[in-house]
Amino acid sequence: MSLAELIRERRSIRKFNSTPVAEELVVELLQTAVQLLPSSAGVPWRCVYAGTPESRKRLADYMLQTVSHSRLGKLIPDKMLEVFKKRFMDIPAHVVVLAGTGPDPLASERNYAAVCSILQNFQLLGWERGLGMLWDTEAMIQNEGLFQGIGMRADERFVGILHVGYYNKAPRGRKRTPAEKKWTVFQG
Amino acid sequence: MLLANLAMEATGPVCFRNQPVPQELVLELLNHAVWAPNDGLREPWRFIFVDHRNADRMVGLQEPAPAYLIVVMKEEADRYKREEDFAAVSCLMQNLELLAPEKGLGIRRTLNEWRYDRQRAGTFGVLGNEWIAGVLELGYAEQVPGRPAADSRPELRFELL
Ligand SMILES: Cc1cc2nc3c(=O)[nH]c(=O)nc-3n(C[C@H](O)[C@H](O)[C@H](O)COP(=O)(O)O)c2cc1C
Repeated sequence: MSLAELIRERRSIRKFNSTPVAEELVVELLQTAVQLLPSSAGVPWRCVYAGTPESRKRLADYMLQTVSHSRLGKLIPDKMLEVFKKRFMDIPAHVVVLAGTGPDPLASERNYAAVCSILQNFQLLGWERGLGMLWDTEAMIQNEGLFQGIGMRADERFVGILHVGYYNKAPRGRKRTPAEKKWTVFQG
Repeated sequence: MLLANLAMEATGPVCFRNQPVPQELVLELLNHAVWAPNDGLREPWRFIFVDHRNADRMVGLQEPAPAYLIVVMKEEADRYKREEDFAAVSCLMQNLELLAPEKGLGIRRTLNEWRYDRQRAGTFGVLGNEWIAGVLELGYAEQVPGRPAADSRPELRFELL
């Protein structure tokens, strides 16, 4: 598979099978993902990994404790929260990713962009090994319970949770707008 | 080639040959890069190409390069969407950087202070509801002596929950 094919064929995976994911593989792919940045030295970031049934349950509990106590959460039937929790716990692995902020907004934006680029590398490297992922940033999961549970600090920024697992079938890709339609040549 | 192997290749700092970059090449690579993940398929990006005829307009703002690609994103009112969009555009720029070497193209991604200078950005056609997500300095890459392949372990802080 060429690089261009890899980039075009990678899909976000929302349905995983139960094949376990090796923690060593995740670490290896993350390390390679960093190496693929031209200047990765000094990018402050941190991953918190939940890859065992016990830690996945804890992660789900952190997220849901805020949701179920919130006003919105009270409107959500318990049954639905249970379904959400089960789906979450059934996914083999979760990587919570945090980017360090910087001394000023520009530095913070640069770090954030670098960490996002690492995650794109990570998704592509995973795809190459048959691993599917979903980058999750739903507003509902970005809550105090989660942030406290993983020990997010004031100088850290939430980038997302990557759900990771093997899949049986990849969905069809949804067409992109040709770059020509979003293209302007500066005329001076 | 496996992407995993690309990481093993030595890369040095990117130096550019004094040669124009055809827009067709950039568009070709972009049409692969737009397959970046992006929430809600908002495709929040837009491209402004500054070629060799106008490269001097970047003096004082950017390092010299044969061409520049200003990658802009639309500013969403919603804070979450704004972050997701910046993430998506970052993935797109990363795709482009992965693809460029195969074509002999070098890319230096930058994000400089002038992104906050609305008037300056405006002269290049960046609209009031847009932000510069990155300025890519582009050029055919000079053969440069590579650094020794990954001598130190990349930094990774990986903690178990
Ligand atoms: C920063 C970011 C956040 C995302 N958040 C979500 C999310 O919360 N829920 C979701 O279903 N998909 C999410 N996605 C995945 C997109 O929906 C997906 O990339 C898009 O539908 C295109 O599909 P593809 O990745 O298979 O090409 C996110 C993608 C990115 C880059």
